[in-house]
Amino acid sequence: MAGQVKKMLDQIILKKSNGNTVIMSTTKTKLILKGLNPDKFTALSEDNADIIKKVREVAAEMGVAV
Amino acid sequence: MNIKVAYSTKEKVEDIAEEIGKSLEGFDAKTVIFFASSKFDADAISFAMQKTFGDIPAFGCTTSGEIVSGHMLNQSVVAMAMNSRIIEDMDIQILQNIHEDPKGAVAGAFKAFEQKFGEPMADMDFQKYVGIILIDGLQGAEEQLMEKIGDLTNVTFIGGSAGDDLKFLKTHVFAQGKAHSNAALLVLIKAATTFDFIKTQSFAVSDKTLVATSVDPAKREVLEFNHQPAVEAYAQAVGVSVENVADVFMSNPVGLMMGDEPYVRSPQRTEGQGIVFYCNLLEGMELAVLRSEDIVRDTKIALGKKQEELGAISGIINFHCILRTLELKNKNQLDDYGKIFSSVPTVGFSTYGEEYVGHINQTATMLVFK
Repeated sequence: MAGQVKKMLDQIILKKSNGNTVIMSTTKTKLILKGLNPDKFTALSEDNADIIKKVREVAAEMGVAV
Repeated sequence: MNIKVAYSTKEKVEDIAEEIGKSLEGFDAKTVIFFASSKFDADAISFAMQKTFGDIPAFGCTTSGEIVSGHMLNQSVVAMAMNSRIIEDMDIQILQNIHEDPKGAVAGAFKAFEQKFGEPMADMDFQKYVGIILIDGLQGAEEQLMEKIGDLTNVTFIGGSAGDDLKFLKTHVFAQGKAHSNAALLVLIKAATTFDFIKTQSFAVSDKTLVATSVDPAKREVLEFNHQPAVEAYAQAVGVSVENVADVFMSNPVGLMMGDEPYVRSPQRTEGQGIVFYCNLLEGMELAVLRSEDIVRDTKIALGKKQEELGAISGIINFHCILRTLELKNKNQLDDYGKIFSSVPTVGFSTYGEEYVGHINQTATMLVFK
């Protein structure tokens, strides 16, 4: 499987921002500061269980269901 | 005039409070923010300032240098009063024991804000509300506080870490007439006017990158960059010998890149083969090596651009890194920097760290009111 991390990170940004571009940008910055840079993952990035676990934890902390 | 500033360079706390009080007399303030040198007794200055302004909330913190319109000061107190055309409503929460439980402290403060303003922090309009954060600068709690804030709300919190004139012994935040250590202030403002931010760091981004491959985030230490001892990899990237890395720390920090925008992480000291930073780095983070540029020129441009965007500026609160202040001092540019803000009511201080979305270094983060 591939692309799960990218999909989850994009969902966090979208849900947290409701599509507002300013909040999208800020949320992306917050993710990068947490060590999860959405630009470093693509639809072809291999699914890594540890990273997926971390993304789930971050989503929960941000109050977003992914 | 909806924002008015004052300052005092007197020696006695009572005289300072009196002078600032007189300067702001007749101004219908909704709140007063003040920054005071650590040379003053912290409890005494907080008490005196609150007593001077009576029921008007007066809050602030200790510094490593103060900023007021036109001047970069030392061993003074600077203050800014804002009226109801700037602030519709506000609440100040004191977060205690931030070293032990930073995230719990934020959650508690946010509950209080929700009760006061009657809406969840998660739903608050980020264009209507803005937060100020002032933190004891010696607890190493900034990252966790900012992360928790960012998790719970889209409201921007901007601010700085309190200083103590480079003694690195004890810093304080001021609220309710008292001084608090191991504490932070969160101030949530429902603005009556438009507000915006300036974040400027005056660095050029080089094409050299370092990836943190072994870290100790709790100590803010990087053990390895690019799978090499951190000191060695950094020295290679900057182009200096291992023995001389500390000499270029100030002019060559590293930046976590958000597009073209660096979030600066400043090296503090070497620790064996590792490098301790002023804020933490996580494993896997890719960083650009930065090169210092002209702070005065860069700040003039940033302020001019903001003035153009907003049309007019009523006031600025400037959270200005002490490392930038030291660089300005080394280059004999302190006066030039102060003069940039001559025509705008401005207060600020030289910080032990700046806050904007996260915890950053060697940056000026400014809250700008239209």
